[in-house]
Amino acid sequence: MLSLLGLAAFSAFGQSRRITGKVTDPTDGSAIPGVNIIVTGTSKGTATDVEGMYSIEVGPDDNELSFSFVGYQTRREEIGDRTVINVEMETEVTTLQDVVVVGYGVQKKTDITGATATVKGEELFQQPVLTATQAMQGKISGVQIISSAQPGISPQVRIRGVSTAMSGTTALYVVDGVLTDDISNINTADIVNVNILKDASAAAIYGSRGANGVIIITTRKGQSGAIKINYNNNIGIRQAANLVKMANAEEYRNYVQAATGSVPPPSDYDTNWYDTILRTAWQQSHNLSLSGGTDKTTYLLNVGYLNDEGIVLNNEFKRLTVRFNNEYKINDKVTFGLQSSYGNSVNQNGFGNIDIDPYGNIGGVYNNAYRAAPIIANKVDGRYGNTSAYQNVGNPLLDVNNNDIRVRENRLQGATFLEVRPLSWLTLRSSFGGDWRNSLNRGYWYQFNADENTFLSSGGNQYNTLSNLIVKQTQSFRWVWDNTATIQKTFGDHDFTLLIGTTAEKYNQHWFSATRKDVPADRDLWYIGVGDANTSQNDGKGDAWARNAYLARLNYAFNEKYLLTATIRSDGSSRLPGKNRWQQYPSFGAAWIASRESFMEGQNIFDLLKLRASYGKVGNDQIATDAFTQTVALNKAYPFNGSVTTATNGAQLNQIIDPNITWETTEEFDLALEFEMLNARLSGEVNYYNKKVSNALINVPIPRTVGDIDGVILTNAASIENKGVEVTLNWRDKITDDLSYSVGGNVTFNNNEVVALNGGQAIWGGSIGASQGYTTYTSNGQPIGSFYVLKVIGVFNTDAEVNAYTNDDGQKIQPNAKPGSFKYLDKNNDGVIDDNDRVFAGSYQPVAYFGLNLGVNFKNWDFSMALYGNAGNEVYNGKKAVRVYGTDNVERDVVYNRWTSANHSQSEPAANTGNLPASDYFVESGSFLRINNLTVGYTFPTGSLQRFRISSLRIFATSQNLFTFKKYSGFTPELPGDPLTSGIELSAYPTTRTIAAGINLGF
Amino acid sequence: MKKIIYFTSAFFFAAVISCSDDFLDVPVQGGPTTSSDPKLAEKLVTGVYNSLLQGDSWGNGDVHGFAFISATNIISDDGDKGSTAGDQLVPVGDFDNFTLTPTNKFAESLWSGHYNSIGAANQALAALNTASLSDAEKNKLIGEVRFLRGYLYFNLVRMYGGVPLVLRVPRDAADANADPTFQTRADVADVYQSIKEDLQFAVDNLPLKSVAITGHATKGAAQSLLAKVHMYLQEWPEVYALTEEVISSGQYDLVDDYATIWRQEGDNSVESIFEIQTGKFNNANLKIDNYTGSQGPRVGSGGGWDDLGWGFNNPSPNLIAAYEPDDLRKNATIIFVDKTPAHTGTVLWDGFRLPSGDSVQNLYYNYKAYTSRTKEQFANPAEKDRPKNIKILRYAEVLLMNAEAAIHESMGDPAGRVNEVRERAGLDPLGAVTIDDVWQERRVELAMEHDRFWDLVRQGRAAEVMHAAGKTNFVEGKHELLPIPISQILLSGNKLEQNPLY
Repeated sequence: MLSLLGLAAFSAFGQSRRITGKVTDPTDGSAIPGVNIIVTGTSKGTATDVEGMYSIEVGPDDNELSFSFVGYQTRREEIGDRTVINVEMETEVTTLQDVVVVGYGVQKKTDITGATATVKGEELFQQPVLTATQAMQGKISGVQIISSAQPGISPQVRIRGVSTAMSGTTALYVVDGVLTDDISNINTADIVNVNILKDASAAAIYGSRGANGVIIITTRKGQSGAIKINYNNNIGIRQAANLVKMANAEEYRNYVQAATGSVPPPSDYDTNWYDTILRTAWQQSHNLSLSGGTDKTTYLLNVGYLNDEGIVLNNEFKRLTVRFNNEYKINDKVTFGLQSSYGNSVNQNGFGNIDIDPYGNIGGVYNNAYRAAPIIANKVDGRYGNTSAYQNVGNPLLDVNNNDIRVRENRLQGATFLEVRPLSWLTLRSSFGGDWRNSLNRGYWYQFNADENTFLSSGGNQYNTLSNLIVKQTQSFRWVWDNTATIQKTFGDHDFTLLIGTTAEKYNQHWFSATRKDVPADRDLWYIGVGDANTSQNDGKGDAWARNAYLARLNYAFNEKYLLTATIRSDGSSRLPGKNRWQQYPSFGAAWIASRESFMEGQNIFDLLKLRASYGKVGNDQIATDAFTQTVALNKAYPFNGSVTTATNGAQLNQIIDPNITWETTEEFDLALEFEMLNARLSGEVNYYNKKVSNALINVPIPRTVGDIDGVILTNAASIENKGVEVTLNWRDKITDDLSYSVGGNVTFNNNEVVALNGGQAIWGGSIGASQGYTTYTSNGQPIGSFYVLKVIGVFNTDAEVNAYTNDDGQKIQPNAKPGSFKYLDKNNDGVIDDNDRVFAGSYQPVAYFGLNLGVNFKNWDFSMALYGNAGNEVYNGKKAVRVYGTDNVERDVVYNRWTSANHSQSEPAANTGNLPASDYFVESGSFLRINNLTVGYTFPTGSLQRFRISSLRIFATSQNLFTFKKYSGFTPELPGDPLTSGIELSAYPTTRTIAAGINLGF
Repeated sequence: MKKIIYFTSAFFFAAVISCSDDFLDVPVQGGPTTSSDPKLAEKLVTGVYNSLLQGDSWGNGDVHGFAFISATNIISDDGDKGSTAGDQLVPVGDFDNFTLTPTNKFAESLWSGHYNSIGAANQALAALNTASLSDAEKNKLIGEVRFLRGYLYFNLVRMYGGVPLVLRVPRDAADANADPTFQTRADVADVYQSIKEDLQFAVDNLPLKSVAITGHATKGAAQSLLAKVHMYLQEWPEVYALTEEVISSGQYDLVDDYATIWRQEGDNSVESIFEIQTGKFNNANLKIDNYTGSQGPRVGSGGGWDDLGWGFNNPSPNLIAAYEPDDLRKNATIIFVDKTPAHTGTVLWDGFRLPSGDSVQNLYYNYKAYTSRTKEQFANPAEKDRPKNIKILRYAEVLLMNAEAAIHESMGDPAGRVNEVRERAGLDPLGAVTIDDVWQERRVELAMEHDRFWDLVRQGRAAEVMHAAGKTNFVEGKHELLPIPISQILLSGNKLEQNPLY
């Protein structure tokens, strides 16, 4: 067959001629380099060079050239007998032709019947942030992104609310067909676009993986044509964005004296602990890409480097990424390709690496800086101020310096595919993807004593008598093999696309950790073998699971007006017991494109008017792999032989399990109106959804007498509901050739509710230590993780008021209270304030979240601004709440606003020694509005660059998180966390403001 | 062309159907199941011993931790709550002050801890039944497990009265919910009957101490515990006979220096009949969480030193007054903190100087819970909460049980037994002894050893003694027992009945 094709090509060459021309942008007459030119109906093609020029051989039967380029409307030109064809390409304004990746295939956006959204890579990569998801914040309705300012940490993505309490909440990421739960290894500059499948009908093709939504990432490919070299960077600084003002030494003395009656010892110091541990940090990222190809092959090589210093001393994240994407067209019918990426990252002293920071010293520094007294020195002449001897709080500067925690990861991720089109209506595709991760983590704790070598004065409990080294290595590999067949047929007005396929996936993981003490402080000696063998401990385990699925999707369109989609996926998972192993996930969607009806013809208001409705079912199998198997609890040793040095190993069977555990099932109904009008100037979408999760996993208590170690059994009992409305509106217009602008806004209203526990145990969560115990309670009829605390109804002004506060039986409710103490509501009127008097006080689940995006292009200048915010949620001021000693520092506002005999405040208590119970005093509004990104850019006119052989040059300045409008008195109202504990500010990383500048350079 | 179509189509079709169900049978990694470990039965027996180390008092279960200390010592007239006045008023202060409620977390964790252990024992017994071991070996292991189960039920019946008598493993949660055994209280007598049967099996199948590996339950331990059970039931002939057997077995004696019993050198001494073993595993301390940490001397407002613990369970002035002059046991049981203006501090047996005055929170601490960082061996001496064996049964107690039974039965030599104990304490012998003498001797000999409160209840004078000690909240007919945890009552749909007056 190949030889036949060759012959045909040869014969065509015989009578060929050459066509040349130039492609320009009509707005300024500038050349457009890199435009793809294809002879319609053939595989012959070329691309324009730096000057926009092209040249192509055409045969006698060729009669049309097609010009296409990202961001421009495709042009088709009849060849006729012309030999010079110059073309002007108009910028693409309409989104009607946009293509959306829908999972195992692509569809035109107009043809989709489910809820999806797309963000283009170019909108994302210029922001000075780590991941694409962070850059997406505020750009898509229905997708809540809760960011963390910590270097190296991905934000939390919640698509249409939180729909599980006990199993995984991570959205499914699909990177070029590879399924994963973490994309911190993906360089944003590698991304062409991100497609989000929001509702169950769109996500149903991912079945049991789709319950938390699906985020599909497609990476860039090379374009055929001459080699293109692009270099992009941005370099900038980060600073703490919102710091709470703490009391200074004088204010501290005043408050502590009022609270305890004793005067703190005299001191010459007035330490600002936040200034001590924070810094202005550098961040930079660089990307160099080479791409190009012929009509048969394309290639793209992209190397990226990112360095992100944390604003906390000694905290740093570095990442190197290399991407190599290739595609080969053997002939018209067979294509194969490879998308591959390598990532190497190092995270130094990140917060919350509890895995290898069992003492939590690093994660605790930010909170310790809140508590440490200003009258203690931070460090003088190489010796630290002894906070722990004074107040039982570790010196945070010492913790930052004397703990060295490093997480290093290597990751190879990629997929290779083979696509065959044996017939014009049939496409067969097989894709094999893999994801190999290896992380080598190391923690080192320096030795130091609580003596005068280390501290200005000896004593206290901050010491480490023996240095300690922990090394942990984790290796995992997963592969996924997809095979699909797509049949596309048109019979008159009936268009059918049928996809059938199968997918198999396997994962295994192995980790190993070792620790020894007494390892010398020399960094070159930080290896396990150097430590004292008598102190060695080690541990290790693994995990493995497999999944297998069969899937089918039928798209039917009648007359391009009436659209139907039906999907079914049959999913099997090794994580579930045999009888529950397979589950079917169906979905249906229908849409009506009213604007294509004959009665709409002739009107010029609507370019698109579309109504769609869908129903779908998806699942969540993110449960522990051993959830249904009774396993032996190991290493339950006992020291026989009277030995103090050895023990006999033992085991216990101490868990009763539910052998019938099954998937959480999500059913979602979605109804939407999409429109594009006024010559594509206004477009938008209004969406209603109702998503109900049944069989949600929850712990059901069982009698303690059965001997289950935690007294609960994980089973499928609860139901959780998310209902909401999403509105998106975009306006864009070109006022003159020199001035165009766009305004886009979106808002999502979501209502989250646990509708039934069905015997499940209402869940206490959000334990913050101190005397507060838990702060959240997940119960019937309330949002997940609702704050459940005492209600403050005022402050006692006099002893008489204390005595007068009685229940119906005349019993004094707070007999030990003093003037200036909080007066708490005795909800059950039993005369005692205890946990039974707690009331619901809102939750971290926002009533609404929204984004606003502005863009202006004036001549060569571009300006953009993005705002993001949420409203109607609450946060818990955990830092304020865990003031456990009378010697802990307090916020300056607390010093000045406190109740005194002269100032009878009814909202602030008198000076106190902390340990207040959990109450709504600590619950504050979480609403905020933030200027997320502000960018100004200037693109140099092409003409001025040509003599430097530069095809494009843009310089820009950008700012991330410039300003936040918030009511919350703490550091940040944006607080990622698991469903039961989110919204509590305790040791969250301080939010940062970034100001950066960069260039985009093309050759 | 056709060929290629057929070939590729066939390939894809094959790929589509090639996945079989075996593909999804992925065993749990690193989590052995009952079928994957042939030596499991023996390991499960060790696991039952391990479960005695539970000390998760605020969480999933306590057998010998801080909750146990609260429910045995702090509740009695021997111990005060200690620490700072406000520290742990709930739940610990509620034991000291008899303000216990059914929501008390420690009363709940003792319940769950004991049933966790009983569950581990029942699992071990089930595994032993099918294990391929010789009958002798199997019966010895079963004897050990039944000894431990008997001990656990003995604690439960003394704390709560009649409790659900669970002697088997439920198949699953539904089975546990359906079988009333798990959620209704058995009669006190039935619980005692089960304890006696378990202990009798142990007596019949366990080896003597001299041929047993240290730490395992022995025949002597089973006999001594069975004697104590009979003593609580006032079955004096059995008490007498069993203690006589233990005494005449030649396996036990008193150690010379009383004070050394609670140091590492005194672990598993000739006097030891049954003790909870602690030590080292995986280069870490293997211990009962918070047993020593909760009782260690605590820094006072003066600060200036790195203290030893939280400062709970202080020996009471009432206990101090109970000692006769020159009783060697007083200074072996109690650490006296120097509160004089001289500020000399207190030098402990290992040379450690406990600071004086304001630098220490309380006046008295439990010497029997003191560990020496310098003179004792620990996997991790830097950890304040260090391992400590707990002496559950000592030969001295057997002598005193024997004396008490001898008085009731008017046989034997009660004065001789008591005087053996007194002699070691450096006291003059008594001529003739009364029951009251034996009770007094029990108090000072076994002070801070988790016996006093139950002993008073057994003697039927708990209310009288508690009131005399100033614990006026004690209500007779109520506070002899702990409240049944409210969570468990609610879970049973009120089938589990609360103790009187709670």
